Amino acid sequence: MANGAGWFDRFVNSLPERGWFKSLSNIVVVPFWAAVDPRPKLPGGPRPSVQPSESLQRMMNLIMPLKNKSPVGRAMAAMVISQNIDEIFTGLDNVGTIHFARFIIIDDNLCMLSVYDGDFSNYIRDFIVAIGNVFDGILSQVEGGDDVIPTRDNVDKFIDWVHDRDLFQLPDFATDIFALQDAAMGRPANSAAHKLDELPRAMILQLKANPNFSLGGGYRGYAGLSVAQIRQKFGLGW
Amino acid sequence: MSKTLDLNELQGNILRGYRADLTNVRYLFLEVVNLGEARRFLGAAIEGVTPGIPKITTAAHWADQKPQMCFNIGVTYEGLKALGTPASSLATFPVEFVEGMTRRALKLGDFGPSAANHWPAPFDRPDRLHLIATIYAVNQDILDDIQDQVSQAFSVLGVRDARARTDANVLGPQYAGDGSPNNRVFFGYADSISQPKFNHLTDAQPEKTSDSAPLGTVLLGHPTRMEGVMFRVPSPKALGLNGSFNAFRVLAQDTHGFELYLDQAAEELEQMLGERMDQLLPVDGEILIGFEKGQRREALREIVAAQMCGRWRNGTPVANSPSHPIFNIPNKDQAEAFNAFSYAAPSACPVGAHIRRTNPRDGEVVQRGSNLTRQMVRRGMPYGPDFDPKNPDNEERGLLGNFIGANLGAQFEAVMCDWLNLGLLHPDITGLNDPLIGANTPETSAFDLLLRDGTSYRLRGFPRFVKTRGGAYTFLPSLPAIEYLSQLKSR
Repeated sequence: MANGAGWFDRFVNSLPERGWFKSLSNIVVVPFWAAVDPRPKLPGGPRPSVQPSESLQRMMNLIMPLKNKSPVGRAMAAMVISQNIDEIFTGLDNVGTIHFARFIIIDDNLCMLSVYDGDFSNYIRDFIVAIGNVFDGILSQVEGGDDVIPTRDNVDKFIDWVHDRDLFQLPDFATDIFALQDAAMGRPANSAAHKLDELPRAMILQLKANPNFSLGGGYRGYAGLSVAQIRQKFGLGW
Repeated sequence: MSKTLDLNELQGNILRGYRADLTNVRYLFLEVVNLGEARRFLGAAIEGVTPGIPKITTAAHWADQKPQMCFNIGVTYEGLKALGTPASSLATFPVEFVEGMTRRALKLGDFGPSAANHWPAPFDRPDRLHLIATIYAVNQDILDDIQDQVSQAFSVLGVRDARARTDANVLGPQYAGDGSPNNRVFFGYADSISQPKFNHLTDAQPEKTSDSAPLGTVLLGHPTRMEGVMFRVPSPKALGLNGSFNAFRVLAQDTHGFELYLDQAAEELEQMLGERMDQLLPVDGEILIGFEKGQRREALREIVAAQMCGRWRNGTPVANSPSHPIFNIPNKDQAEAFNAFSYAAPSACPVGAHIRRTNPRDGEVVQRGSNLTRQMVRRGMPYGPDFDPKNPDNEERGLLGNFIGANLGAQFEAVMCDWLNLGLLHPDITGLNDPLIGANTPETSAFDLLLRDGTSYRLRGFPRFVKTRGGAYTFLPSLPAIEYLSQLKSR
């Protein structure tokens, strides 16, 4: 389209850079679209897949808004984590399938970011079996956490709770968003053909429904290898 | 906490199997079309005194007289809705049950030829599949009678029959008459040897051995194998307590394809092993396996079959007897003899063997502490015509399987997605699928045969031998729960 595009195409393509259009789209266009053609919030975490190389190492981006959004609240969360860090790490070690896990606070959200092998539900369930009592203390600091404490009595509910707060992972191929939206609306994927020029709208509306998200599935330095395989290879004992 | 269980309140098929006494089974796939009739049927089936309505079999001990027939029901999520279960109660059921088996396809390996869009009726319409009734009986006439009775209250969307088999039924008539128990399944293996045992009916924790399981393994509202963990009991308690969940599966087995592959593997081993052959099949090893001297290829086929399963076809665990099956154990003693084994290192059983992946017992696993937590109860019966490898055909035959546990996600799905496929339980097999029932393709499949010196030989290129042809997640309600469902008033 770049070659030989008429003045109107060039004008339309330049709209996102024009200040007046930015305001117009924020205030009118996007809310109007979203009202006419709403997209459901898409579920968080990695999607099930057939290929072991894709489904082996997965990423969790758990975002938990703090109850107390102040320096004091942030300090309390930091305290709970640091007081229990040994138990948390031992628990993660016992789950056996976790490559990395860390806690960070961004804008009054306590985030747990981790890379794990295999199935999400099994990871969270095994995690709770290992250190549910410690994690209960962390949950007491975040919004909605009281609903799932004690986690050992609410394993199913807690798995759903985490899934709900795990960031949506935008597909690596942008057009895959169509199929995900179809599935979330209960339609067979791509049952009606989607036009490529509807992709920007589909994407914008989705990112209205999922304001926080992960860009793609992420990079893996040693894709397709499990924690246990690496530990075994280097004689670390799995 | 030590609650004692009232066996009269439990459906009988959870804690025990019927196959030993009742060798014919029929599954009825039912839709609720007349709500009043359906509720009346369920209400009457609890007492079982109304003529023309079968009594639901409970877990109560059978005295001297064994029944001629056992009748049980499972209800799908759609079925609970159709029976008028309130939304507030439906919301307390676990997500995997709510979504149903077809929407969990990728986790279960149901893709490609096993995908739900290839499933025949009634499994092509999970929205209409409301109940699965199971009839076990001594003969076909009883199955027909009970089906007639059930069809008065429900619309019968489909029927599947299965029956117990001997080795002659699944391995050919040349095996007839050696007195084997009728616990054979296609591919020729003796089945259902290892089950969690519930030899105590209180909530006291049993010894942590592999064959003694807490009630929470299969019953909601009781302590589980996971320390301190309870699964949510759906509310109201009358509906959820002492219920269980079942993954019902129609698993077609490519019996001919499996035998052909064993031929191919045996030929390959003869050609490729060379001097290492002694480490797999020593001189005259074929005689111990039950063949004539010189029948080396036949013996190699059995070694491959045994290592892929983890049991020789007669049930002998490879872990106990790596070089040959043990014969001449009286039938009554087989279950015990074939269950007493360990995977403590170094084990003679390959890590990738089917029964070791699905139940790693005391073997080391990546998910420390999960050795026993994913255990479930399995009840299966072979369907389709008998098979004779000498006169092979490609008729559909296989297993109607029930995988019963208190939590589908923590047990059935956890085994299916991480262990059976993917092999995440041990670094040596991670990335490989179960050789017998995994979602394999010849391009990527691999299985490491274990040689006596601890080295291995990698077999490749085997296809998917087992294809899913249908199934559903059902809730197995307690008797009070069936009464609750029968007394719902809505709609």
